[in-house]
Amino acid sequence: MRRPNVSLWIGGVLTALVVLTAVVSVFWTPFDPTAADASQRLLGPGGEHALGTDKFGRDVLSQIMAGSRVTLVVGLVSVGIALIIGTPLGIIAGMRRGWVEEAILRFSDLLLAFPALLLAIVFAAVFGAGTVSAMVAIGLGSVPGFARVARSATLSIMRLEFVVAARASGRSAWGVGVLHVLPNLVGLLLVQSTVTFSLAVLAEAALSYLGLGTPPPEPSWGRLLQEAQPFLAAQPLLTVWPGAAIALTVLGLNLLGDGLRDRLSVGRDGR
Amino acid sequence: MPTRTSGTNPAHRRRALDPGTASQSGPSAPGLPSRRAVLAGAVTAAASTWLLAACDAGHTARDAVAAAPPGAVTLALTAPPANLDFTTTSGAAIPQALMGNVYEGLVAVNDDGELVPALASAWSVDEGGTRYTFELQKGVRFSNGDEFSSATVKFSLERVNTDAWTNGLKAGMALLERVETPDPLTAVAVLKRPSLAWLRSLATLIGAMFTPSAVTGLKGSAVGTGPFEVSSWKPGQSLALTRRADYWGEPAASPQVTLRYYADNTTAVNALRGGAVDAVVGLASPELLAPFEKNPEYRITQGTSTGEVVLSMNNQAAPFTDVRVRQAVMYGVDRAGVLASAYDGRGTLIGAPVPPTAPYFEDLTGAYPYNPARATELLKEAGVYGTTVTFSVPDLPYAVAASQAVASDLTKVGLKVKIKVQEFPAVWLQEVLTAHRFQLSVIAHVEPDDLLTLLSSGYYLGYDGARVASIAAAADAGDTREYIAGMREVVRQAIVEDAAADTLFLLPALSLMRASLRGLPVNSPTTALELSRVVKA
Amino acid sequence: MSGLWRGIALAVARTAVTLLLASVVIFVLLRLVPGDPAQVALGVDATPEAVAATRAHFGLDRPWVIQYGEWMGGLLTGHFGESFVSGQDLSAIILDRTNVTLWLVIPSVVLALLIAAVLGTWAALRRGKVDGFLITVGSQLLMAVPGFLAGVLLVLLFSLALGWLPPSGWVVPSDAFGPFLARLVLPVLALTAVQAAILTRYVRSAVLDVSGADFLREARAKGLSRSEAMLRHGLRNVAVPVLTVTGVQLSSLLVGAVVIESVFDVPGVGSLLVEAVGQRDMVSIQGIVMVLVAFTVIVNLAVDLLQTLVDPRLRVSPRVSGAAA
Repeated sequence: MRRPNVSLWIGGVLTALVVLTAVVSVFWTPFDPTAADASQRLLGPGGEHALGTDKFGRDVLSQIMAGSRVTLVVGLVSVGIALIIGTPLGIIAGMRRGWVEEAILRFSDLLLAFPALLLAIVFAAVFGAGTVSAMVAIGLGSVPGFARVARSATLSIMRLEFVVAARASGRSAWGVGVLHVLPNLVGLLLVQSTVTFSLAVLAEAALSYLGLGTPPPEPSWGRLLQEAQPFLAAQPLLTVWPGAAIALTVLGLNLLGDGLRDRLSVGRDGR
Repeated sequence: MPTRTSGTNPAHRRRALDPGTASQSGPSAPGLPSRRAVLAGAVTAAASTWLLAACDAGHTARDAVAAAPPGAVTLALTAPPANLDFTTTSGAAIPQALMGNVYEGLVAVNDDGELVPALASAWSVDEGGTRYTFELQKGVRFSNGDEFSSATVKFSLERVNTDAWTNGLKAGMALLERVETPDPLTAVAVLKRPSLAWLRSLATLIGAMFTPSAVTGLKGSAVGTGPFEVSSWKPGQSLALTRRADYWGEPAASPQVTLRYYADNTTAVNALRGGAVDAVVGLASPELLAPFEKNPEYRITQGTSTGEVVLSMNNQAAPFTDVRVRQAVMYGVDRAGVLASAYDGRGTLIGAPVPPTAPYFEDLTGAYPYNPARATELLKEAGVYGTTVTFSVPDLPYAVAASQAVASDLTKVGLKVKIKVQEFPAVWLQEVLTAHRFQLSVIAHVEPDDLLTLLSSGYYLGYDGARVASIAAAADAGDTREYIAGMREVVRQAIVEDAAADTLFLLPALSLMRASLRGLPVNSPTTALELSRVVKA
Repeated sequence: MSGLWRGIALAVARTAVTLLLASVVIFVLLRLVPGDPAQVALGVDATPEAVAATRAHFGLDRPWVIQYGEWMGGLLTGHFGESFVSGQDLSAIILDRTNVTLWLVIPSVVLALLIAAVLGTWAALRRGKVDGFLITVGSQLLMAVPGFLAGVLLVLLFSLALGWLPPSGWVVPSDAFGPFLARLVLPVLALTAVQAAILTRYVRSAVLDVSGADFLREARAKGLSRSEAMLRHGLRNVAVPVLTVTGVQLSSLLVGAVVIESVFDVPGVGSLLVEAVGQRDMVSIQGIVMVLVAFTVIVNLAVDLLQTLVDPRLRVSPRVSGAAA
């Protein structure tokens, strides 16, 4: 890549913007995002409320700002679950052949049989709908992806000379795994994480639309979008703001993933 | 995500770790069918098998277009009945569809809330107030051909008090001693004690007439004396009612009325715009009406219902065991604001769980005016200022909306509120209504004349019913004037004095229809949706 | 030869194991649901006797192992049991509603594949040029739009503003094919848009990978033109990763379409599942989830087998480059 890495830059800036918004919203939002005021309902943008108010008279800008927190938490926790479960499984499967690998493969196949949205709907029935159910479902659904990336990379790393040398010098499997394999996986896992993150954001929005996501009054972009739907004809901007927030975040994460991939030359390593 | 896989880049995901069958395969060998042939064969076989079934795709959810006779009407609703058996299933959706249309009672309630004759052409009560004599309509037949007679009345009413009925509303029939059948067209109901409310309850589902030959399999079929019979039922999707030619009264105006159940109001309104339905009945998102208000092709009707939206405070759970805390909530919630946010201001402020159509209605909106300062004061007095309470909210649009406005109001006066949304009916019924595991909740009570149910001991509100039981019993045994005065006394004691529950507002009966549709009831004084006069002009 | 057939047998056996494990997971998971299904089905005011009778009727009072055995036995003979809530036999309903969803999913995946093949290849061949860049940007943007928002906007434009197509609904195809098609267009379009965006990125990346490959250079050295070389040798190398992705999309869409079904009032299997969850109709949930899982697993198997058939030279595990997109 000789030309500047545009994806990385745009993606990085958009993602940073979301993180910054979330951090700022912890300390300051123009209004209390959950404070309703029936006398201020459905105001258009401009004036005191920069993006207007919703049907409860709540400030939309404040809700969008606070909503970025839910988005980040859902994304981070989902990715975290997938990372923590999937990576070790993948490394172990890559280092140890035989029945251990076979068992991990069957487990991974089992998880693969439950698409994340299906898992989320079933979890809503079993444990009740909510952010936690959604995050766990999305996280578990993403485990096979991480496991696969980790395993295939491990397989190639294990063939590298310095690893073979390390093993020959009597280092334990654990030592090799932690000291040699894991550091070489960081780039790949980072890319995988951004992709999973963006899918988690979309998943949360879809679940909220079905009423299985973040419960009120905690502001969430997905639920804002759902609540705005009846006003689509009368107040289209109410749909535009959360829709744009979701789209820009997902776009940012996707671009960031692409950019990182190019920068780290991940996946074009020409096995 | 809806259209994407979970997890990750799809290619990564699939066959996640599998060394894969791909690596197992050897070079192609002669003597076997070529891979391409195998592939093509498999694909063709799968595709043709599927196509065969696929041509009928959706037949368990939709009726054939051609099956609807000319003049048939389709109405959109949003709460589908789980099954067709209200004897064992509670909830308003089943009686809404079936009462007055398929099933009939001896008496009925008209659009203005008055009691009128139905299967009984006339009735009288003896001086003691315990013997009701009903003269029955002649020549009435059930849709399966069975004859309707006093024996049917005896069977149906006495059956309510057996284990065959499990719907909680059966309690309304508990005071029935027996039914006598002096001749086929006369039925005499003997009560254990006098009651004015009992006669009115005969117009609700517990008064429905069943024929003994058709009480098995009630979940999936319904045989009644009404102007319609069920011609098709697709669970969760639609219920088609077809006009009976042999109906004893005036035949229904339309040859067929289909009730289509939609997942949400937006989709239902879109279906109306697209011409798939002729009206949306019981619209729960009033915001959707705005674009139709000035459009002459559509008509909006707003009537009164019996759905009192009640903010319940568990009288048996701290901090709401303290009457001052309950009063603080009554003062601290801006009901007009809640109505504006939750229902776009369409609806009525009533102040007590009594709809204006009830004979003993009294305007109590002034009893607890919005007074946040007084609310804070009361909370401080009770020593619970700053306490956190959990608000168990059923996932119904109006309830979720109202809860957010209520929570915001209560936070302002010093009660922190944590909203917990629960699926309705399953979870909410179990947690709140049955197990009483809640502090605050909100739900519309849609059964007519449900005041005393609300205030009974053991009901989820946790109100001590003994405080009003004797007043209520005296009222029920008296004449109409005493009944009204007595019931008003009950309301004043329980709602005003004891602040048992905060009645946020009365749901409007909102319908949006094509201007050409006639005969759709405006008010819903009972849970039944009478369809016999509905017709396309 | 034996390698091929042994591979197939092994894959089928693994699929069977996965299905068996999945059925146990589903069964146990749904037994963890708080509350008594009989109580839920009867409503809150049911008498204890009525609840006990219902429990007995549905066999809920028997040990789990027996219940599981009966469920499995039923499934293997095509019986999904009877709904606690509606009292209906579920077999016909679940399969029929699955067919409805397949009407949305299969055309949109096929359509998306065709669009992606053209646009993806174009974008790869015109890499670094304006049009190639625009395709890439367009697919990025489209991927970022939540599916239901796309659906709602399509309704707004084509039905409410322009009045070209019905906004929602479903007509049984054998009943009235024209109206059926008219109602199919918008939901399929909504699904296709996002699918096409995803697949375009895959095709582009696969084509880029292949076009740099040694065997193509060899082919061109032998005098084939670029497009000839691509068609003769490149195609199957592009097909493998794209096929893989398509398989995943196909199975995840079966549930994923639920949001689109909700927007367009299509009685698909996802909607059926959400209805059943709302009613806590455990027998239904159990049956529906099993069908969806079986579909996913079988599609995965089919993709595996297809890969083997399309590209027997595939020795290493499918080399979908990590880049992929």
